[in-house]
Amino acid sequence: MAGKIPIHVAEAAEVVSDERQLVASVLSKERKATAEFVDRCADWVYPFLRHRLVRTPEVVEDTLQEILLASWQALPSYRGDSNLQSWILGIARHKVDDYYRRRIREEHINEEEDSAPEPAIAPMLEQRLDSAAQQERVRKTLSCLPETYALVLIWRYRDEKSVRDMAQLSGKTEKAMERLLARARANFRRRWNDVER
Amino acid sequence: MSSAELDGQFAELFAPLSGEERAPSSVKARLYSALIHEQQETGPLASLDASVEAGRELCVFEKLVQIAPIGEQAKSPFFCQVCHARVLAEHFDNPPLYWPHCPYVKFNES
Repeated sequence: MAGKIPIHVAEAAEVVSDERQLVASVLSKERKATAEFVDRCADWVYPFLRHRLVRTPEVVEDTLQEILLASWQALPSYRGDSNLQSWILGIARHKVDDYYRRRIREEHINEEEDSAPEPAIAPMLEQRLDSAAQQERVRKTLSCLPETYALVLIWRYRDEKSVRDMAQLSGKTEKAMERLLARARANFRRRWNDVER
Repeated sequence: MSSAELDGQFAELFAPLSGEERAPSSVKARLYSALIHEQQETGPLASLDASVEAGRELCVFEKLVQIAPIGEQAKSPFFCQVCHARVLAEHFDNPPLYWPHCPYVKFNES
């Protein structure tokens, strides 16, 4: 038994070797390898963007293209230390953060505005939804909100970014970011029931 | 309701599904064309012979070019640029294309 390589380790090594070979072929501008690269990357990044950019499909496609071209330009620095999917999704995450930062930075927030305590979400869930239906309803509700509200909600609750980080990255104070989040949650709650009517 | 409870409720609602969603084939087709153009900005693509040497299959049109008695350099352009398969694949998600080994057809199959 000694010296025998576990199957999962051997499989992982094979994947890394396959990916390194693919990257080398793409860098040599071999067209069929480039097609395979696009095929794989698009399937990794598209769902990631669809869950994070709630505007038109054009925004998703434009951002996907931007990520793919950035990946191609950065490909010579890919060493195969992580798998290709994680590496590409790292680039995608940076691009999405840039997009959020730009959009939220433009939002004017009144820090002194008063607000009533926020009610729980539970009362608005008049029926139990299975997770797919719930996700679809979340997506529809987000698409009805002003873009900045949708983005702060996704940044905070889907990407689990802290309020402090969100404030720093978008050049706002923490208090301003809290205010923006509170308004976004209130808007989300109001629209939640509307989307199914 | 406390801020932590409120955060917890929203976090639960926003938890992403781990479902298998794929990119539409027309999006892949447009991305492929864009990336090939980007590659061509810095010089010619590898020739079709290089694709064959790497163990890749060619479509019927590429095969014709590959066996033609012309120089290596003449086998480097992106011939798909003038192919109807590219145009159809970039505009429709289920184009009526059946050429084996055509990258634009493969996007539809994967």
